[in-house]
Amino acid sequence: MDSETLGKKIGISEELIKKSYTLSLENQVSNELFHVDKSSSDAVFIVFPGSWTVKEWFSGDQAFGETKINSKDWSKKAFPSMRSIGNDDVAIVNQAFLERFELVLKDSKDSKDSKFLEEVTLAMNGNKPIIFTGHSSGGAVAVLATIWFLEKYSKSNTGTAKCVTFGSPLVGDYIVSHALKREKWSKYFIHFVMRYDIVPRILLAPLSSIQQELEHVLHYFTANGHHYPLESIAPDFYTNVMRNTSALASHAACKLMGNTNLLLETLTNFTKLSPYRPFGTYIFCTGNGKLVHLDNPEAVLQLLFFSCQLSHENEMEATARSCINAHLDYKTELLGRSLEENVVYVDRLEELPLASDGSALDDLGLSTRGRLCLRAAGELEKQKQRNRQQIDRKKAEMEEGMKGLEEYKTFNAQKVGYYDAFKKQNEKRDFDANVRRLVLAGIWDEIIEMLKRYDLPDEFEGDDSWINLGTEFRRLVEPLDIANYYRHAKNEDTGAYMTKGRPRRYRYPQRWLEKKEGRERDTCGESCFWAEVEELLKLASNGGKVDEARAKELQEGVAKWIKDGVAGKDVLLGDSTFLKLWEELGRLKLQQECIGALMTNFTQLSIS
Amino acid sequence: MEAEASPFESSELVASLLASTPLLSESWRLCSVANAAAPLGFVSERIGDVGYFAFSACSIQMITEESEYYSTCRNLVPLDSAGAGDGDRPFSVLTKSSNSSINGEEDEGAVMVHAGLLNLFLFLRSSQAFKDQMSALINGSKSIVITGHSIGGTTASLCALWLLCYLQSVSSTLSVLCITFGSPLLGNESLSRAILRERWGGNFCHVVSKYDIMPRLLFAPLESCTRQLHFLLQYWQMSMLASSPGNFGQYFPVLQLGEEEKAHLFSFISHHNLLVSSVAQAEAREEKANILYWPFGNYMFCSQEGAICLENAASVIEMMHLMFMTGNPSCCIDDHLKYGHYVGKISSQFLNKKSFLQGEVIPESSYEAGVALALQSSGISKQEPAARPAEDCLKKASGMRHMRTPSLNAANLAIRLSKVVPYRAQIEWYMASCDKSDEQLGYYDSFKQRGSSKRDHKVNMNRLLLAGFWNDVLRMLENNELPHDFHKRSKWVNTSQFYKLLVEPLDIAEYYRSGMHRTKGHYLKHGRERRFEIFDRWWRERKVGPEENTSMRSKFAGLTQDSCFWAKVEEATEWLAHVRSESDARKLALLWENINNFERYATRLVDCKEVSKDVLAKNSSYSKWVEDLRELKSQMQQIHPQFPRFRDGA
Repeated sequence: MDSETLGKKIGISEELIKKSYTLSLENQVSNELFHVDKSSSDAVFIVFPGSWTVKEWFSGDQAFGETKINSKDWSKKAFPSMRSIGNDDVAIVNQAFLERFELVLKDSKDSKDSKFLEEVTLAMNGNKPIIFTGHSSGGAVAVLATIWFLEKYSKSNTGTAKCVTFGSPLVGDYIVSHALKREKWSKYFIHFVMRYDIVPRILLAPLSSIQQELEHVLHYFTANGHHYPLESIAPDFYTNVMRNTSALASHAACKLMGNTNLLLETLTNFTKLSPYRPFGTYIFCTGNGKLVHLDNPEAVLQLLFFSCQLSHENEMEATARSCINAHLDYKTELLGRSLEENVVYVDRLEELPLASDGSALDDLGLSTRGRLCLRAAGELEKQKQRNRQQIDRKKAEMEEGMKGLEEYKTFNAQKVGYYDAFKKQNEKRDFDANVRRLVLAGIWDEIIEMLKRYDLPDEFEGDDSWINLGTEFRRLVEPLDIANYYRHAKNEDTGAYMTKGRPRRYRYPQRWLEKKEGRERDTCGESCFWAEVEELLKLASNGGKVDEARAKELQEGVAKWIKDGVAGKDVLLGDSTFLKLWEELGRLKLQQECIGALMTNFTQLSIS
Repeated sequence: MEAEASPFESSELVASLLASTPLLSESWRLCSVANAAAPLGFVSERIGDVGYFAFSACSIQMITEESEYYSTCRNLVPLDSAGAGDGDRPFSVLTKSSNSSINGEEDEGAVMVHAGLLNLFLFLRSSQAFKDQMSALINGSKSIVITGHSIGGTTASLCALWLLCYLQSVSSTLSVLCITFGSPLLGNESLSRAILRERWGGNFCHVVSKYDIMPRLLFAPLESCTRQLHFLLQYWQMSMLASSPGNFGQYFPVLQLGEEEKAHLFSFISHHNLLVSSVAQAEAREEKANILYWPFGNYMFCSQEGAICLENAASVIEMMHLMFMTGNPSCCIDDHLKYGHYVGKISSQFLNKKSFLQGEVIPESSYEAGVALALQSSGISKQEPAARPAEDCLKKASGMRHMRTPSLNAANLAIRLSKVVPYRAQIEWYMASCDKSDEQLGYYDSFKQRGSSKRDHKVNMNRLLLAGFWNDVLRMLENNELPHDFHKRSKWVNTSQFYKLLVEPLDIAEYYRSGMHRTKGHYLKHGRERRFEIFDRWWRERKVGPEENTSMRSKFAGLTQDSCFWAKVEEATEWLAHVRSESDARKLALLWENINNFERYATRLVDCKEVSKDVLAKNSSYSKWVEDLRELKSQMQQIHPQFPRFRDGA
């Protein structure tokens, strides 16, 4: 726990935080979809008011009101990064909040650009950073607005944004957290949460368990001055939300601690756990002026549970009530005093003291059990870093293996061709190349397995050095995999290489490159043209019909890749599989000029 | 070795997860209903997507005179004796005999269960009401909880085992969870191992309260105290009926044991629990074999202070003993009736903080602190003599899996795999060179007739190294050291299948080369390693896309798609030899039938090009067999013109 200044650590000054809160409070209940404040010289504030009916919190037919972020056309375009790349898991977000943001985005007086888009453009033209902010569900919409902004503008470096929320419910699942970290956007999200505020925990319970009480509670929030009695519903509401939070937190903690009990899996088939997870930076307000800063999402989830437990059973009624009232109570915590002096940064979670130590964690009421779970969260993050180091150390071995294959490739470039020499497996050196291929494949498979389980740091798939190594590996080794596949006629065991046999170790790096270069899916398939050659050849020589467009696309691709140096000229050697196809295509009158030209060129070169 | 994450103790968290779901309280509610509705034996109900099926604790009289039941108290019978005849083998998955276990140990012995309890279940199962309610529940739910209190608990376990066997046979994805309250033990160690092997341990959760004598009874030889047991069971059943909602306020005359008898029973059971517990911790298998009854699945131990979940059987036995010894003669009987209280208590405990008591020293290490908290939840206080051994027991239970995380194990295994892959590549290379060889023996026969060259030796070494690797993998899987979905990960499914297709022919060759078939019997029935059967299952159960490739092969497969092909060739070769010397007409007909079947099978395989080309090498066993058969047939035709009768299998 060190003492950097707040502004430096979270990238936003105390003054702007306070201003954000004042504006959020003023716009807590409003008929506007959003409100713009330009009174500050340092930033433009876009404030989102809360929404206060149950259907604005839970919509759709899922238990937790969740939906895939790409479930609509507009959102698919607006949030292309909100997924994991290799695994291709798409982020899940709250449907009601997504619908609310859709209204914001599309709200326009005439058919021109939406009002929201205009305001954003205006702020960017003024070179001022934008702060998206809101209280309660307004915070959730602010989160979506910020992600939208980052997706749209972060590449072009034309503007900066921050998201500051107060008592916001959770918005998205683990994939959102994962993707934000990978894109290095996590740091733009700052969430203030009062220790007892129930709202950030509400979406951890399925609607069916809290529907009646929620309606009542939302009413209560809007009825400033006119108080509904809470006594009748508060205990049930608190207990139900906490019961579900407990189930989720215990399950997450078991995973953090590496528990393999098969009972865990069985139980998830019987009770559905909430998909929502925290992300970004959380600042917990203890209620006595202290602030606790955490940015490990797993730890935040545990804290959401443990900070709301009871010390004695007889505290139940009072705690249940304060859990609801705390949602309206940020003012005293945030405006009355200096934030700077009271903030405590909790890092090195794995070394957290287990006994109460007089620190701010005591003020969050953290039990020993809770501290252990926080330690486990820290330990897991450390383990991911260790996994990363472990595979980073393998780079040398991989480069060595690839160098060997490069030599093998060069050796064959003048004779049979890289692909066909390997496919024939006549010489000892072909066998050695096969062993090299298998060793490299082993290392990559291991990396892919880790990615599948999200056992590597979230940043991994955005790391240029690995994207490059993956691309190099893919271009060099995948032809050998294809050669091996068709050599053993595995297409007849399991199906065509591309649809049935292509290993993940090639699919993943291809997706990384496509994501990095912002290209469409399946556009970087240069490493697997041999599979298409084999499939077309099989069709052509069996007298089947060869699709003209398919033949054309392949030939143009190959020509381009040869020109770009991605594929070797040995593709065109006399005995190669490609040439066999070329001849078949000649018979079928499907040859393309681009290859013909290369061919002439190549023959001339070899003669001279 | 890599620096590893510091370990954590999480048996308590599993318990708090379960206690945060409605499963425990709903199950208990239904158990109470079932206990009150004793005549029916069971009740069922659906809540949301989850179906609940509860067995009554009071139905043992339905099948047997009480006295008869007690006299057969500890009798075990083989589980595969169950069934209504005519191929009805409700537990076939569990009782399937295996040639040898993964660890290379000999036959583990038959799976046995309590005779009376098995009869009770089979009796209930045979009723129309059971069939109707169960099938309605299966068809209407996404998951099913099977539950029961006391003797209803063992019935529930048997029912869950039956259902799991059935669902596996129809490849259903329905989830089953069995929750029992104060259930007696059910079966022997083989049952426990068979459940582990099927990876069903996570489908059973036995809730056992701190002092309850019932789950501990069957550790002791009960023949000497049948009279006390008689009273005890009657007392419990009467109390259950009396306290059930419908009978509230009614008076039941209750037979009670005298104080002295209670004390005697307590010390008797206590003593035998101690004995069993110390034997269970022993390494030697022979000693363990003396323990008749053995727990399986998860045990959720609950006390006033909380609950913990243990899954390691030896630790469960020890914990049963340690918790019991902190009790006394009267609470050990009453605790059997207090599950409602315990369930209520642990279901609301999640609201309360879990910290150390005031003044206790908190260990610095996460692991020690976790163990201390779990001890607290088990209700054993630091001052009690049971505290130290209980702490060790918890450490042992978690130590087996937590010192190394399963994901890390899997990752290390991947590294080991990449190290053994070159061995496999060398075997492939060897196979290709056999195809090219002038001897034209083919892969199988080259290896079977191999000489003592360095190359032959190396291939055999590689075969053994690969076998060792895969045995390790399976051992780790059985001991829950690997992630739960390991056997579904395509990398491992594919690699194991490829290994099987490539190397099993060599294993077969070695088996027949060394003459094992003469001492042990043929490979298929008596020599096939269990790993290959397991890989068969992984391959069968893998996820396959909708359009399976059904088109014809254009050339021979890289590897023969039936890895047991050569074992079948060997048997067929033997039949062919016997045909020449057999004189008994009936036996001869049988031999010809076998030969014809094999011929059809092999021809189809060859026609579909499902075999690799080495099968058809000029001097391969198969080619020779085909040649032999042809020759034999022509000879026979010369001698017996009526021969075609046999040949056509008439």
